[in-house]
Amino acid sequence: MRVVVNYDLCEGNSMCTQVCPEVFEVRDDDRAHLLVERPGEELRAKVETAVRRCPRQALVLVED
Amino acid sequence: MTLADIDLADPDRFLAGVPHDAFRLLRAEAPVFWHPETRGAGFWVISRYEDVVAVSKDPATFSSARGGTNVFELSDEELAVVRTMMVNMDPPRHTKYRRLVNQGFTPRMVARLEPHVRDVCRRIVDAVAAKGACDFVVEVAAELPLQVIVELLGVPLTDRHKVFDWSNRLIGFDDPEFQTSMEDGKVAASELWAYANQLALERRQHPREDLVSLLMQAEVDGERLTEMEFDSFFLLLSVAGNETTRNLMAGGMLALIEHPAERTRLLTDPSLLPRAVEEMLRWVSPVIHFRRTATRDTELQGQTIRAGQKVVLFYPSANRDETVFSDPERFDVGRTPNEHLAFGIGEHFCLGASLARLEIRIMFEELLGRLPDMELAGPARRLRSNFINGIKHMPVRFTPERRANGAPVTG
Repeated sequence: MRVVVNYDLCEGNSMCTQVCPEVFEVRDDDRAHLLVERPGEELRAKVETAVRRCPRQALVLVED
Repeated sequence: MTLADIDLADPDRFLAGVPHDAFRLLRAEAPVFWHPETRGAGFWVISRYEDVVAVSKDPATFSSARGGTNVFELSDEELAVVRTMMVNMDPPRHTKYRRLVNQGFTPRMVARLEPHVRDVCRRIVDAVAAKGACDFVVEVAAELPLQVIVELLGVPLTDRHKVFDWSNRLIGFDDPEFQTSMEDGKVAASELWAYANQLALERRQHPREDLVSLLMQAEVDGERLTEMEFDSFFLLLSVAGNETTRNLMAGGMLALIEHPAERTRLLTDPSLLPRAVEEMLRWVSPVIHFRRTATRDTELQGQTIRAGQKVVLFYPSANRDETVFSDPERFDVGRTPNEHLAFGIGEHFCLGASLARLEIRIMFEELLGRLPDMELAGPARRLRSNFINGIKHMPVRFTPERRANGAPVTG
């Protein structure tokens, strides 16, 4: 499982950081950054919630 | 009520409030419902949460640009004009234009406005606190977003009521009080544009730290904005930053007045306020609908939608979807989770969401702290509109605020 942030869309709404601070961090550039590019399976539920709740739908979960 | 009784095109059906009984029926029996029109080809009504999300997330199939985002039909000439507004663009064009202004509206930038917003809120409450009664919409709810957006744009505070008037006439075309026809809406737009162009001329020579100055410097694909593009930005920001927040605040106050136990709960535990703000957003859903137009034949909930047909998303309905919200007809200031769609979702997610949340939270901190017993002094008068869930006037009364020495507070 790999997470990708679409920087054309991300506007730093920080929903992802609230749902899953283990993986996401919004920095001074008002963009979400990944703390872990390939989160472990134990974080799957949280990452999926973050992807679903992103107001701009800027997060993509890639299975590989 | 049966499906045959439903008429969402008639603004009179919204005078008593959003017709939630109609939407409940639609969600249960016809989630993708073909709605005939007397003046138009008809449109699809999308009433369930999951479908509003699915359509919002697929701008390639459901376009904002093709026919605009209002239900009524526009001529090619009118379409060319409205397409210069971000709300009527699709990606990748939308993305480019949004990037010009979105840095000013991020949660981090908005948080820096908090002291200013608090100052404005205090002054607004100061002006009514000693009177014991006021028109909540005109004197409180309208003033805050108006003062904040004119400040952001760079419009002098003394000119704010011009913006208020233009904005009312642009949005209120179905309401006799604002006496506006489609024609008068166009007159209001041209007055607003003339004003904006004058301001732009001034800021081009003497830039300041405001959005008008920023737009004067902005480029898309290496080109400066045209006058039409600038005018469209100005119109969209002044209307969108104005009507919606005003109506959210008025509708939120009305909800607290009508649910006294919930207000008491909030007064007892003010830490609930951020959740209460989200519940007001869900409950009021200030924008009733936006339209998309299908770009190809597609299918939704077993219904075939043809290329070119209108698809209309009803946010108040999605926000009371029983499959997503437990006890959706209950106004619950502590509701969690609350993944409402009042701001939309996807490409067009409300640019001003953080600003609106900030404005509402701070205004209610002031109101609940200083005028906790506000009640209706007469019926709230609603906007005749199936587009904006609005309240035009709301007479309220409350115990006048007194200073510590017992003297009434004067504005």
